[in-house]
Amino acid sequence: MDTAEIEAKVIQFIATKVENLDTSTINRSSKFEELGLDSMDTIQLLFDAEDAFGINFDSEEAKGFSTVGDIVSYIETHQPSAAPQ
Amino acid sequence: MRVAVTGMGVVSPIGIGVDQFWSAAVKGVSGIKRITSFDASSRRSQIAGEVADFDPSTFLSQKYIEQTDRFTQLALLAARLALEDAGGLDAYGSHRIGVSIGSGMGGFSTFESSALRKFRNQPVSPFTVPRTMANSAAAWIAIKHGFKGMNLTSSTACSSGANAIGAALDLLRAGRADVVVAGGAEACVLPLTINGFEILYALTTTSNDNPAGASRPFAKGRDGFVMGEGAGILILEKEEQARSRGAKIYAELAGYGQACDATHIVMPNMEGQIAAMREAIRDAGMKPDSIEYINAHATSTPLGDAVETRAIKNLFGARAADIAISATKSMIGHSIGASAAIGSIATIMSLHTGTIHPTINLDEADPECDLDYTPNVARKKNIRTGLCNAFGFGGNNASILFTTHEGRD
Repeated sequence: MDTAEIEAKVIQFIATKVENLDTSTINRSSKFEELGLDSMDTIQLLFDAEDAFGINFDSEEAKGFSTVGDIVSYIETHQPSAAPQ
Repeated sequence: MRVAVTGMGVVSPIGIGVDQFWSAAVKGVSGIKRITSFDASSRRSQIAGEVADFDPSTFLSQKYIEQTDRFTQLALLAARLALEDAGGLDAYGSHRIGVSIGSGMGGFSTFESSALRKFRNQPVSPFTVPRTMANSAAAWIAIKHGFKGMNLTSSTACSSGANAIGAALDLLRAGRADVVVAGGAEACVLPLTINGFEILYALTTTSNDNPAGASRPFAKGRDGFVMGEGAGILILEKEEQARSRGAKIYAELAGYGQACDATHIVMPNMEGQIAAMREAIRDAGMKPDSIEYINAHATSTPLGDAVETRAIKNLFGARAADIAISATKSMIGHSIGASAAIGSIATIMSLHTGTIHPTINLDEADPECDLDYTPNVARKKNIRTGLCNAFGFGGNNASILFTTHEGRD
């Protein structure tokens, strides 16, 4: 999956967690807090991404994530070579 | 102090909303079908009362759906319908509106699916705990509607809904709330839960090819209950305040009795059942002679229905034969913690409409079950008082008494 696809998927997950969010305003530098995601929403976002991309976030590293770009970059560098079943 | 029922909401295998539910109940429609939520084809029990046309996206946002278990979603819909029916509670301060919900298993749907993921080494949702905990339905009703008063959950197996309604009566009488959103919710048509009841020999296993005929309380040859799911919610208000805001009043919640067998963890006990019914009647300031209808616990197990029959005969004596009885579970199966809340709505509708819904699948009664169970066909009968029984694992017996306004005088 290329970067644009990963980014689109992550944004789609964010949209399910915040009501009436204008997704066109979201980019890699958007901060979770500014988008209206609370800490539980962020953990759920990681869960969604783990499921969709077949990866496992390192929990210590994931604690430091604060932007959409942080998640997208991690997925880019950790996604398995073959799509998960 | 009198407590009025001013709104009702129900989500059941035979209908969503009181009109649909009651119309089906009076017609004797069965909501039992082959299980669709998972592959049950290799199970001993392959049937259940599922709320097949329930779609949470019609009334909840994606965020709510993600964070809530199915039992909470059923409760949220029933609460919304009940609140609409009651005409809104804007007249009350948010801190005076309480919530009291019963659920036997809580968010077991989430528990089972998260456990399965864990065993497969898949990531587990961070909402596993907040979705599973038994008080999540009560909490989400409060969050959704901004009800900041007392928020309680009763988890007493099959009697949870009755205890939640009884606790609401206590809160109103004690002045701890002016209104209570009370009832029960359950969503346990689930692989592990059904397996758990199967190995107790509690479920019927002989009617997989005849689902509609499977739940047959009081019938000869009955061999267990059918798992069900659903939610029932009542809006309970102090009658005086309900009248002053111009609310319609369906019935009065007049009494609540509860007793523990203190004998066995799952076996029913006649003495405990008698004690609960007697206490509900005494609590209302009434006498057993004034009881005209009983919505029986009647799950369709061989022992349970016979013991309840004996308890009724013991408490009411010769008059037992004159009391109209019916078993809502004959149509919807056993929705555990929701069952008494749905049974309460059936009781209230009987008081309100003068119609007793039937006990279906009762062509030949068990000789040990020899009372008037309103077999197969609804009956017109103007009643003024009705008990709703709920007897749960843990030896937990609860009985609640509803009356018409005249029935109380």
